[in-house]
Amino acid sequence: MVGLNLSARRMTAVPKGLSDEEAFEALFTAEYARVVGIANRVLADPHEAEDVAQEIFIDFHRLHSATAEYAPAWLHRAAAHASLNRLRGARRRQKREFAQALEAEDKTLDPQKQAEVAEDRRRLRDALGRLAPKPAAVLVLRASGLSYAEVAQALGIGIGQIGTLLRRAEATLRKEVSRGTSN
Amino acid sequence: MVDDPDAKVGADAAHLDGCAECQARFKLASEDARSVATLLAVPEAPFDVDKAFARVTGAPKAQPTLGLRFPILRPAARPTLALVAAVVAAAVVVVAFAFSGFFFKPATVKPVPVTVADIQALSQLADYGTITWTKQPDLHVVTSPTEAADAAAGVQPPTVSGLPSGISTNITYAAMPQAQAVFTFSADKAATAAASHGKTLPSMPAGMDGATLTITVGPAVGEIFGTLSQPAGSSANDISLPQLVVAKSAAPTATSTQVTVTQLEDFILAQPGISPELKKAVEAIGDPSTTLLIPVPIEYANSTQVTVQGVDGVALGDNTGVGSGVVWVKDGFVYLVAGSLKQSDAINIANNLK
Repeated sequence: MVGLNLSARRMTAVPKGLSDEEAFEALFTAEYARVVGIANRVLADPHEAEDVAQEIFIDFHRLHSATAEYAPAWLHRAAAHASLNRLRGARRRQKREFAQALEAEDKTLDPQKQAEVAEDRRRLRDALGRLAPKPAAVLVLRASGLSYAEVAQALGIGIGQIGTLLRRAEATLRKEVSRGTSN
Repeated sequence: MVDDPDAKVGADAAHLDGCAECQARFKLASEDARSVATLLAVPEAPFDVDKAFARVTGAPKAQPTLGLRFPILRPAARPTLALVAAVVAAAVVVVAFAFSGFFFKPATVKPVPVTVADIQALSQLADYGTITWTKQPDLHVVTSPTEAADAAAGVQPPTVSGLPSGISTNITYAAMPQAQAVFTFSADKAATAAASHGKTLPSMPAGMDGATLTITVGPAVGEIFGTLSQPAGSSANDISLPQLVVAKSAAPTATSTQVTVTQLEDFILAQPGISPELKKAVEAIGDPSTTLLIPVPIEYANSTQVTVQGVDGVALGDNTGVGSGVVWVKDGFVYLVAGSLKQSDAINIANNLK
C-alpha cells in the first residue's frame, strides 16, 4: 500500500489563529454540508444523514482539534464509514425503500418505470452494503464530489489506487443490479 | 478512470485511439460509471446549519467511565497534555520506585490498588522537584498504519483480528516518538509543597536533594476504533470510551542517580495519604526491577491477573461492566487493549493481536 506522505495532506479548512471554539465553528460551517451529502448519498434519507453527520461532528469535537490538518479528511472518511455501517445495519433490519429519494425526481416516469428504478436503487444500496469497506468508501466519496486527491487523503491510500478501486466497485455494483433485473 | 482528467493523456490517449480492445473496455467502464452514478443520485438533503451547529455544540461532554480521558486523542490540546504529562510523571515515579537497582525495565505487569487519596498524594510528588522534558511528548494523529509507524520510529501498529461484531472498522491511528523526562528532586521545593498542604514531610534520604530520575517512554503507536458511530438505541451522551483502543509502546525505562531505590521507595511510601493497601501491594511485588505496576483505581475498577499471548497480563474491568481492558508486556513492549466491550472480548482481541 502506498501511504500519503504528511506534506501531501496540507488540507486545512480552518484559518490559523482562531480559538478552539471558533475553529470548530469554522470547520463545521465549511464541512457540514459535505458530510451530510456523503451520508445522504449512502442512506438516501436526509434525516438519517443529518443524524450521522451530527454524531460525527460530536465525536470529532470531543476527541480532536478543529485546527488539525487532518480534520476534513477525518470527517469525510467518518461520514463514509459511519453511513455505510448504518446501511449494513439497516439492510439486516428491513428492506429499505427509497421512495423519499424518488419523490423529488422522476415524476415524469410512469408508475411501472418508477417502481423499477426504485428497485434498482434498493438493489444498488444492498450491494453497496455488501461491498468491502475500502472500495465502498472510495465510490461513495467520489460520487459525493470529492476529488481523487481528497478521496486518497480521506482514506489514507495512494492516489494511484483510486481509479482501480472505483472501477472495480462500479463494475461489481452494476453487475449486481443487472443480475437482479434479468432474473 | 473514466472521470480522471489525468488518466487519458499522452501515450495512453494515443494508444486508446488506436486499440479497439481498449476502446471496448473504456466504453464498458464508462457505462458502469454512468449507470452507478445515476442509481446513486439523490436529491440534496435540506438542513439548517445553525440548528445543527447548536445541537452539536450543545451535546454534553461525555463522562469517562474510568474517570479518565484518553490524552492521546487530543493532539493539539497542549495544556491538557502538559497536565497529563505532569500526572504521568508522578505516576511513573510510583513505577520507578519499584526497581531494585538504578535501572528499571519491566518485563511483566502487576496490578496495584490505588485510591483517590493515593492519586492525590502521589500527584503532589510532582511538586517535590522539577520535571524537565529532554524529549517532549509529541503526539501525531494520522490516518494510516504506515504513517503511524513512520512517526513512531518504525514501531508498527499491531494487526487486530477477531473483532466482535459491532466494533467499527473505522480506525484512527496515533503515534508518539520516544519521550524522555528528567525529574530532579529538590529538598526546598518538597518542604514548601508539603507545608502548603499542611503536611509534614517524611525525612528525606541523604543525597536525595538534587538526585535525578530519568524516565523514558515510547515510541508508541495506537489504534482507535469506532469513535464515529454509536450503538443503535443509545444516545450520543452514552459514549464515554472509544469502542476499542489498541496501543503498543516500547516498555518505559527509568534510571536514577544519588539515591538507592530502597531509599526512594521508603520515602514515597512514607508520604502522608498513601493507603495501607497500596503499601502492602507494592511491598508484596516479587521482582520489582522488572515489574510494571498498573494502578487500578479501586473505587472505579477491578482487576484480575490473566494469561495473554503466553505471558502474564492484567485484565481491568470497571464495576459497571461497560468497559474493560487488558495490559501485558512482551518482548520489550507494553501492550494495551481497552474499550467499551466485554472483558472476554478484550482478552480475545489481545490474544489474536499480531
